[in-house]
Amino acid sequence: MNEATVLFFIIIIFSILVIYWVSITVSIIYRRRRTASLTQIELTFADIVSRYLYNDPKNPLTLPEITQTLRDVGIKEQNKNNIQYLIRLMIRTQRTILGSNFYKLQKLYAQIPPHGVSIKKISSWSWYRKARGIREIYEMNQSQYFDEIFKYRNDKNIYVRREAQIALVVFLGWESLRFLPYLKRNMTLWQQIKIVEKLYDHYPKPELKWLHRAYKTEKLFGKKLLMRIIRKYELHAETDFIINNLNHPDYEVRETAIYCIQTFAVSTPTMDYIKRLYDEIPNATQQGQLLNYIYENSDIDLDFYLKQLYGTNDDLKLSVAEILWNNGYKEKVQEFYYQQYPNAVLNVG
Amino acid sequence: MWDSAEGFFGSYYIYWISVYLFIGYGASLLTLYLSGIFLARRSIKRTKQRSIFLRAEDVVSATDIPSVTVVAPAYNEGLTIIENVKSLLSIQYPYYELILVNDGSKDDSLQRLIDEFDLKRQDATFITQPIPTASVKHIYKSRKKKYTHLTVIDKNNGGKADAINAGVNFANTELVIFTDVDCIIEQDAILKMVRPYLEEDDKEIIGCGGGIGIANDSVIKNGILTELKLPSRLVPMNQVVEYIRAFLLGRMAWSEVNGLMLISGAFGMYPRKRVIEVGGFNPKTVGEDLELCIRLRKHMEEQKIPYKVVYLPETLCWTEAPSDYNILIRQRDRWARGLWETISLHRDLLFNRKYGKMGMLYYPYWLLFEFGAPIVEFLGVICLIAFGIFGWINWPFAILLSFAAYLVGCVFSTIAIFMYIKSFDHYTKPKQIIELLLAAYLEPFYYHPLLLYGQMLGYYKKIFDITSGWGTMTRKGFKVSKS
Amino acid sequence: MRKVLVIQEDIIILKILERLVELNDYECKAIRSLDALNIEDQQTNFDFIITDILFEGIAPLQFVAQVQEVLLHKNLLIVTNMGQDKIKKEIFALRGVTGFYAVPIDLDEIEAIIQAY
Repeated sequence: MNEATVLFFIIIIFSILVIYWVSITVSIIYRRRRTASLTQIELTFADIVSRYLYNDPKNPLTLPEITQTLRDVGIKEQNKNNIQYLIRLMIRTQRTILGSNFYKLQKLYAQIPPHGVSIKKISSWSWYRKARGIREIYEMNQSQYFDEIFKYRNDKNIYVRREAQIALVVFLGWESLRFLPYLKRNMTLWQQIKIVEKLYDHYPKPELKWLHRAYKTEKLFGKKLLMRIIRKYELHAETDFIINNLNHPDYEVRETAIYCIQTFAVSTPTMDYIKRLYDEIPNATQQGQLLNYIYENSDIDLDFYLKQLYGTNDDLKLSVAEILWNNGYKEKVQEFYYQQYPNAVLNVG
Repeated sequence: MWDSAEGFFGSYYIYWISVYLFIGYGASLLTLYLSGIFLARRSIKRTKQRSIFLRAEDVVSATDIPSVTVVAPAYNEGLTIIENVKSLLSIQYPYYELILVNDGSKDDSLQRLIDEFDLKRQDATFITQPIPTASVKHIYKSRKKKYTHLTVIDKNNGGKADAINAGVNFANTELVIFTDVDCIIEQDAILKMVRPYLEEDDKEIIGCGGGIGIANDSVIKNGILTELKLPSRLVPMNQVVEYIRAFLLGRMAWSEVNGLMLISGAFGMYPRKRVIEVGGFNPKTVGEDLELCIRLRKHMEEQKIPYKVVYLPETLCWTEAPSDYNILIRQRDRWARGLWETISLHRDLLFNRKYGKMGMLYYPYWLLFEFGAPIVEFLGVICLIAFGIFGWINWPFAILLSFAAYLVGCVFSTIAIFMYIKSFDHYTKPKQIIELLLAAYLEPFYYHPLLLYGQMLGYYKKIFDITSGWGTMTRKGFKVSKS
Repeated sequence: MRKVLVIQEDIIILKILERLVELNDYECKAIRSLDALNIEDQQTNFDFIITDILFEGIAPLQFVAQVQEVLLHKNLLIVTNMGQDKIKKEIFALRGVTGFYAVPIDLDEIEAIIQAY
């Protein structure tokens, strides 16, 4: 290496620096213009939707007027970023509204641009575009493309298959439980949450036959999903499925079962059964959670609590002691602790 | 001078070995930084793409999402504690609790809290303490329904780590966030931080961090940052650049390869279960955040449970940086001691196959380039002086090479600033960007030597066993605009 | 004329609610945050306040408490994205809240309430 080489190196680095200075300048200008443009589109869209949903007979909003207004703020076929932003606004609005206005919105969306944009994305090689396409199709309720989407339910990309699975729920409703608990790949917590939410929003009336069929699943995520559905719909008659999973060998299945059972109050015989299952739970933290549930949902069962007080886990003992102490059994707690620390070894006074 | 030194035994070899060692070290660092840029770019892009499918507004309306407790320790924060707690209470998350731990403050912090939030003492007889801490005196909850999410723990002083552990003991949520009470957390920070946990697939998320920004001289109203300004002084201004570079390039790059060993103590989220399993923060080190993250990773490796530590590129937490060089040096001295202690505590990781990539790659990186960099730099300065005295240095060439190295540093900072302003809209004014760039370009002449001094001071204290704790970090306080 | 105050950060929901209210013969003040209120608004006794609970710098429960303290009103309706049962219970525990609607909402329900008033 000599001075000439270093000089050459310096020139290259300096050129890179200049390139980044230019990029920063361009980026600032672009961002400023883009922000203004997006705000304009949002305001216009908000105005259109509000006027469309609550049309003033004295000053009615017509379809050509809507199309022209959108064009004026840059919603044109060649401007893909604006189109994409409009789709985002359309979805956001549709997801906030239920009832007759929901259907009114769907009617509006069918008549204004963009047309056929989402289905084109599905054939893209990019997971990102594909998943977005699927999402747009189910959010806009374009059920004609269901077959296209169905094949992606086990896709190797988590986002593509998640969106396809949610689409299944949106289009098939409870019947989708034929497939969901048997999918090949794991389902994340968010997938489960979205599926339950979509099912609840679109199909509020439970169809238990599909639920009962799905109980056969051995997939852990399937069990968790079904428990969440039971919880969300508050299906009191189906709580056995949750209870039977309280002592499941898998930590997360138990966690979901303990979480879901807390929505329900159960009969005394069922609570007795839960108390028996309590001892079979191999994790002290989860036992503690179930203990809270038992305490909050049943009368004080002295035998049960005393058995726990003389158990092995110190944290649980403390929780049980607190329950007994606050419920009129102070002497039992004192008796237990005196036994632990007999007077002979206590340095009192 | 060269002639007189020529006779010195082995001088030729010493010179060239030193030169090649420094060049090798520098080249390795350069390669790592370059790889870091590519990895960080990919990571930021992916995070942004993924966030389209799980927006904060989706999370805010969801049920079944994990519950979260923010644990904030406070020691003698009486002057600002009410504003700070109100700010932390305003974080938007449906299943959210705030635990403020008064770590034996000697001022009137507790009384102020009792008065403002109408706190009522709770029975603390049966508190479970899975992690041992200094004794808890009382637990307080508010009588006012609008503050149902607030719990105050009053305990004897045991240090920051001990106070956080007391908060973890008392929390009963799935996830816990650790922060400093004077940090300003973005309103939707938790909604964003839980994303990785919601999307957890085959690997358990054991830690999640978010970007931390510097808010000196910014305007705060109702506990939120209403106007982000650049600090007026050079020391904090340089820290803005340093944080952008560290969080956006460094942490995001390591996150991409699941090699993160540090989640900043100012803002990090963990599953409570795992924190308790490892016994919480270690109160015996001043680098407790780094130490916890490494211990958690080790724990998962030993259990053979697949795991991930992730970082989000967004700035989710704003803090006040040291405003003058004295405080800065004290801070870096503490960080250096924390690093020394942690590196030493976990030396069994070094090239230990049992710990996989952590033992073979990440720990050696930390040892060589995070722990070793100040030492190498310090030795470099000594060699430069010695070789200069001996006349072994070709000065024109050395100056050119230094200038090239300086420019490379400028490029890295510029790229980080570019990536930041492209991704986020915190700094949008041309004047701000120019100031940031200038601060970055001045850094090697003013700011960096201070850092080196602080770090070496920390190492010196460790070598000669000079006892030094957290030290006092005097803060000026944010500009508070009254509504 | 009867008066309604709508406070929603989301401009689309804000506009829709504003329109809904106006077409039902109410005078409507639609704002995106409490900062936009003027002195006159603070002295008005609104027949309805329709508000979100998610605003910058203030906790949801605190916000509701603040609205109740600061603004004169006869009915307070909450329309929010953060509509979990837990939040609903906490909001109702504050007392004085007429209705709580979690998004997605059926606007016909809100229309029915203001029409029946």
